[in-house]
Amino acid sequence: MKLKNFAAASIVTMMAAMPALAETTIKIAGFGASSGVVGIFGQNSSAAMQAAVEKINSEGGVTLANGSKAMLETEYYDDRCNAEEGISVLRRIATTNAAIAVGPTCSNVAEPLFGILQAKVDDAGDTGLQFPIFTDVAIKGGLAGISEWVFRNTPSEATMYDDLFAWLRATYPDTKTIFGGVEEDFAHSRFTWYSVMKAAAEKHGFEVVGEGQWLLNDTNFSNQARAMRRAEPDIIAISAHPFTTCGMLREMDRQKISPKVLVGLTSSSSLETLTGCANEAEGLIIPTSFAPVNDAAKYAADAVAAKGGALDLHSAAAWENFMILRDVINAAGIEGTAESLQSDRRKIRDALGALDTVEGLLGTNKRLPDGEAVKPYVFVGAKDGGWAVVHNPGS
Amino acid sequence: MDYYFFIDLIQSLVDGLLFGTTYALIGIGFTLIFGVMRKLNLAYGAAALAGTYVGLAAAFVTPLPPILVFFVSALGSGIIGYIVYLGCFRYTPSSHPMAALLASVGMLLFIDELVIHLSHGMPYPYPSVLRNAEITLGEIWIRGDMLFVFGICVLAMVILYWLLYRTSLGLATRAVSQQPRAAQLCGIPTGQVNALTFVISGVLGGTAGAMTAAAVGVLSPIIAMSLTTKGLIVVVIGGLGSIPGAIIGGLMVGAAENVFQLLRGVTERDIYVMLLLFIFLTLRPGGLFGNTEGRD
Repeated sequence: MKLKNFAAASIVTMMAAMPALAETTIKIAGFGASSGVVGIFGQNSSAAMQAAVEKINSEGGVTLANGSKAMLETEYYDDRCNAEEGISVLRRIATTNAAIAVGPTCSNVAEPLFGILQAKVDDAGDTGLQFPIFTDVAIKGGLAGISEWVFRNTPSEATMYDDLFAWLRATYPDTKTIFGGVEEDFAHSRFTWYSVMKAAAEKHGFEVVGEGQWLLNDTNFSNQARAMRRAEPDIIAISAHPFTTCGMLREMDRQKISPKVLVGLTSSSSLETLTGCANEAEGLIIPTSFAPVNDAAKYAADAVAAKGGALDLHSAAAWENFMILRDVINAAGIEGTAESLQSDRRKIRDALGALDTVEGLLGTNKRLPDGEAVKPYVFVGAKDGGWAVVHNPGS
Repeated sequence: MDYYFFIDLIQSLVDGLLFGTTYALIGIGFTLIFGVMRKLNLAYGAAALAGTYVGLAAAFVTPLPPILVFFVSALGSGIIGYIVYLGCFRYTPSSHPMAALLASVGMLLFIDELVIHLSHGMPYPYPSVLRNAEITLGEIWIRGDMLFVFGICVLAMVILYWLLYRTSLGLATRAVSQQPRAAQLCGIPTGQVNALTFVISGVLGGTAGAMTAAAVGVLSPIIAMSLTTKGLIVVVIGGLGSIPGAIIGGLMVGAAENVFQLLRGVTERDIYVMLLLFIFLTLRPGGLFGNTEGRD
């Protein structure tokens, strides 16, 4: 009798628990470098994703095709900024119930990784992976064109630096020459100097009087700084990540090199640069697609900080991606079942592809037909150990 | 020859030699351990970096003058060196030399990851002394902080020489290095000598790490691999097991790196340094001062 009662009670309890167990969740995977020397990027993105999911779920989650509600869940996968690991991670994500993935961190991972995806949707002859990706960090220009399954919410560096040098021309009319310092073995730094900053500077009438190169692991910058000193440029542009940016800035300080204007790489508009060399970075001007300049941006920054991360131009994109995906899922009419997974992925892809504009933290982001974005931006300058907006082109 | 090019050449040589002393210290650490145990400790560079972070962490806890930060870095690296000894060498059977080598590779990755995890990969400012001082000889500048680094490295080498050639500990170390079995039969505790060697080389590594970070002014986990690679190149060129070899090798690598960078640019610089390594490995595998004889 006791056994019967226990069995009956168990069945009742299980039946009562069924709705909770059956609650549908939609998984959005995050991936990128959360360990290794650029691990802070992935850690910040991961924190932004968790904070965004918490906000979305607290507001009721997303709506499925049958009108029911589903909660979002996220899990972050580490690719260590390594192309092989990135490809392996994406293949692993594709075998899970993830509807879409947000990542990766590094452009040198993004480029080969996008290559394993089906290039054109519905191309029966292309056996590439059919899985949507919505990139938050990897910023090298034009990568979304590799596959129609790729969408990016990264700022256009070409537009930002073009505008920055136009603004410098108008604001500092007595500046005529520029010297470029570039971290030669990092895809983003290299691309940004040679294809973006240099072109923009020349377009706006600045004469390039020299270039200095160094590597990501370098600890001695005396040769390059000496070349800078001798060239006596009005502007020095440093296209490098925080560690070598700080190394170079300190060497410049030692050699008493003080240009009229100092320009930095987008990725250096972060906490790391200020942690490493706030004094030497004073005055460094960088275009960025994030700064806590309005209530929404401040709210997001606080929410991410509560998750142990920092919101910068990269992690802000991760936050924005989740908010965009919430709206996309609501509109796409996905079913959220195991059987509908592949068609759900396709619906999300198509809905992302159909977007013209989306709301971002700094304003309206324009979506382009090739999967890229045009985002609002501001120019920030390092001031008293923090980043302050020195110019807002949108204002 | 263009006047400015000549000046740049001299300046590069001077900078390279000054910076090369840190390579020499790392090389000495590698060579000391190899000399005593005939085993390579590949975790050495990572342990040096971790020790440097210990000094920085101490400075975060309580404000310390730069000299004390360097001292704590060296001490921290010495302690980590001892842990590496216990973890990778002490209990590894001597009949399986590859086991210790591979264990040290594992330890290298472990320490590296731990440092990155704890520091979030962030660069942190590292104190330096005489940062704005300089000696000007015509067109040539000699950085005050680099001279300090040079001085500290030379001092560390002098202390090491005194330790090795003027103390009973040094006598025991040299005995174990030359004839470990005979040394053991004479009552020398080889286990203790090995452990002390790891601590001493750790202290040297911590000093090198601290001086590297002081020279840049920033500490980042990025430098771990560079310390390991440079240390290994230095000992191959100088001769595994030879302290004078490590010193000469360190200065050579530092100077070659800077001069090749000036002559051929940063992208080709390492090709020539590696070519130098290749030439030594093929034509003079024992290095400049290597000696593999005289050991049972």
